[in-house]
Amino acid sequence: MLAYALRRLLAALATLAGVLTIVFLLLAMAPGDPAALAARSGGARPAAPEAIAAYRRLHGLDQSLPVRYLSWYARALRFDLGRSFQDGREVRARLAEVLPATLLLNGCALAAALLIAVPAGVAAARRPGGRFDRGSGALFDVLFSAPSFVLGLLLLLVFSGWLGWTPFFSGPELGFRGIVLPVATMGLGALAFLSRFVRTCVRQALEDPAALAGRARGEGETAAVFRALRRSAGAFSAFAAILVPSLIAGSVLVERLFAWPGAGRLLADGVFARDVPVVLGTTLASGLAVVASSTAADLFSAWLDPRLGESRSGGAREGGDAG
Amino acid sequence: MISRRFLATAAAALLFAGCGGPKGKHPESVVQRRLEGEPRTLNPILATTDPENVVLALVVRNLLEYDENLKLVPGLAERFEVSPDLRTFTLTLRDGLRWEDGSPVTSEDVAATIRLLVDPKTPALSRKSYWDGFERVEVLDRRTARVVFREAYAERDLAFVLPILPAADFVGRDVNTNPRNRNPLANGPYRLARWDAGRTLELVLNTQYDGPRPEPERVVFRVVPENASAYQALLSGELHEMRVSYEQKTRLDADAGAAARSLVFDDLGYTYVAWRNDFPIFSSPKVRRALTMLIDRETIARTLYGGLATPASGPIPPGLWPYDPSIAPWPFDPKQAEGLLDEAGFRRGTDGIRRRDGKPFAFTLLLGTGSELQRQIVEVIQQSFRKAGIEMTVRPMEWAAFTAKVDEGDYEAAILAYSLDPNPDLAVYWHSSQKAPKGWNSAGYSNPAADALMDRLRTTFDRGEARKLYGQLLRILHEDEPVTFLHYTKARWGISKRLENVRTSPLGLFLFWPGASAWRLGPGHAPL
Repeated sequence: MLAYALRRLLAALATLAGVLTIVFLLLAMAPGDPAALAARSGGARPAAPEAIAAYRRLHGLDQSLPVRYLSWYARALRFDLGRSFQDGREVRARLAEVLPATLLLNGCALAAALLIAVPAGVAAARRPGGRFDRGSGALFDVLFSAPSFVLGLLLLLVFSGWLGWTPFFSGPELGFRGIVLPVATMGLGALAFLSRFVRTCVRQALEDPAALAGRARGEGETAAVFRALRRSAGAFSAFAAILVPSLIAGSVLVERLFAWPGAGRLLADGVFARDVPVVLGTTLASGLAVVASSTAADLFSAWLDPRLGESRSGGAREGGDAG
Repeated sequence: MISRRFLATAAAALLFAGCGGPKGKHPESVVQRRLEGEPRTLNPILATTDPENVVLALVVRNLLEYDENLKLVPGLAERFEVSPDLRTFTLTLRDGLRWEDGSPVTSEDVAATIRLLVDPKTPALSRKSYWDGFERVEVLDRRTARVVFREAYAERDLAFVLPILPAADFVGRDVNTNPRNRNPLANGPYRLARWDAGRTLELVLNTQYDGPRPEPERVVFRVVPENASAYQALLSGELHEMRVSYEQKTRLDADAGAAARSLVFDDLGYTYVAWRNDFPIFSSPKVRRALTMLIDRETIARTLYGGLATPASGPIPPGLWPYDPSIAPWPFDPKQAEGLLDEAGFRRGTDGIRRRDGKPFAFTLLLGTGSELQRQIVEVIQQSFRKAGIEMTVRPMEWAAFTAKVDEGDYEAAILAYSLDPNPDLAVYWHSSQKAPKGWNSAGYSNPAADALMDRLRTTFDRGEARKLYGQLLRILHEDEPVTFLHYTKARWGISKRLENVRTSPLGLFLFWPGASAWRLGPGHAPL
């Protein structure tokens, strides 16, 4: 198990390094020069060439691409993520400001979605084709197909505009009222996925010969459902881990809409400004979150079903699927 | 166990925070303002973007200030003397000026700021160009400094619309990592009390300020990147000001119950379609004029801008002093335009497409993403051109990629907008020495007569004489139509009905004196 965990971790870190390299190269190849963009933000007239040269020197943009790439890695290994091209501040400090808010938002959204999706999925699985199954399916499909931006704006209009129950500008320091709308916007989008997945897992487990045998032994339906849930926990945790990247990506829009001071906004601003250190730093942080969640899900599955770990240690399937 | 404790702590934190309950109404004296993005710095020398400049406008004064008509008026400097050769400027600071910590503002601060600004290591992107040809700065006494330039420049005095930094905090220290960049020392009516990263900046009255005391005791700037959310907050009175879209302005006017009203005024913006002048189909002024005359700018102004734009006649909008109202914009006249195209050799074939030497009149126009309005305008233009036998393909591009193409001059046509500053000097945009990729003449326009006039204007200090020369220059640019000048646009704001004494200038609501420091908050209007 330990060897498996170590191999899994190494594979995940290799994936992360690959992702960072691709992001760096994409940013480097994308048209748009950070110095020229910064100079343009200065407004009405072109910046003096000396000012642009000073900006380039300051941010190491006068160095060759390989040197910039390697020096970023060398610094990152010492936990120094460089300084933002936009405001000259340490990327580490900027991430420390925004990451807690983003983690809180994503964590609460996932937890809220799970809290609703599991009972709803189970209820739908117990009476497939029943009224609840059809009703909840239709509702979740609507929620899933509504773009998160539209859904969020509607929530904002109703709860902040008309009812005045929630503030216009969300933030963790405002407590429940300050977090409920962005969490609901993100959680409702994930709900459809999760509940359908739970429904399928539980349905399959209930129709499994083992479940039929249990019922033949006189096992009650609740016990059968719990067993079904436990049996599908591995697949379920893997699925929840898969949702993490899409939640993080979705939080870019939601953070913007609710003026939520999170990493999504930092990343979006960084991409538009071609702010390489900020984009790499944010990618590293979100990559770590994704890797951590998928590794945890894998380890959880291996713990539930030790055959998984053994088969992998036998070399049946090397490499990671994180990222 | 640990995770349970962590969860319990987090839950308690959430509950306690929630126990604060709904916040009470804002105290009467707090102005709630919107920032479209977070300031990157509050070092006034390094500041470039709007969010930075509008916060700083209340925190630091300039040596000279623009008034609402863009005239230069005393700021920190009470006297400003210029030598007859326009190379030497002597500034005398007001007596009794203090930084927020009580220390005096002196000419040493002025000299240190200027030395820092011209230092090759300082990336002062928006200010350095005015200091081209700087020779030296001297401190004459505690309140007086003299600045000498190697050469004269007609608009040099605009360089002294300059905020200053405290020498004690900046001399001998790295400007780029200076702690004062996020914690500026105020010499203006307000000082920074709190900066909650990504969320709010809060200003309170600066008790050391010797000028008139603004009425609002606090100004809270809230970072709200999304226009739709900001607009809802404006309607309900949570925000007291924001820039609104044309569509929001119309909705605001129709909503009598809203806590805000609209405010429209001329600013220094204009939009245009750039034609690469060295691209064979655009090389003739006749063809460029024809393209302009194919576009119904009046209708676009009425329908797409909601009447808040007027057809442009050239690169100087009405808010700048050299504007010449006697030059009428080219009319919408498709018939005449088609005649001009025929004359230029572009004749319709049997398929209706115009061709010259067998080559069709076809090109690609670049459109930077982000402006729905520009996309609509381009659609209208495309239809008009198609009717006239011209094939225009539109290529939308992400903004950074778009500006890279424009800066390089690597395009055939592009739709663009300028927001000018009070300096009317046109050389940076239209002089042949400034052709892209070196400068901002990205259309690649070149006319020796126009170059000569722009050169003369650099050193023409007499306003009457300069006006005459500008008149000639604007006529040449009008005849040459290097680009299609589309519209002079108006600024649009949503303003709380509680705000009083809101003055406007071609620079907007904030970047002139007294700007937002003169605002008062009225007794209130009940939000919906």
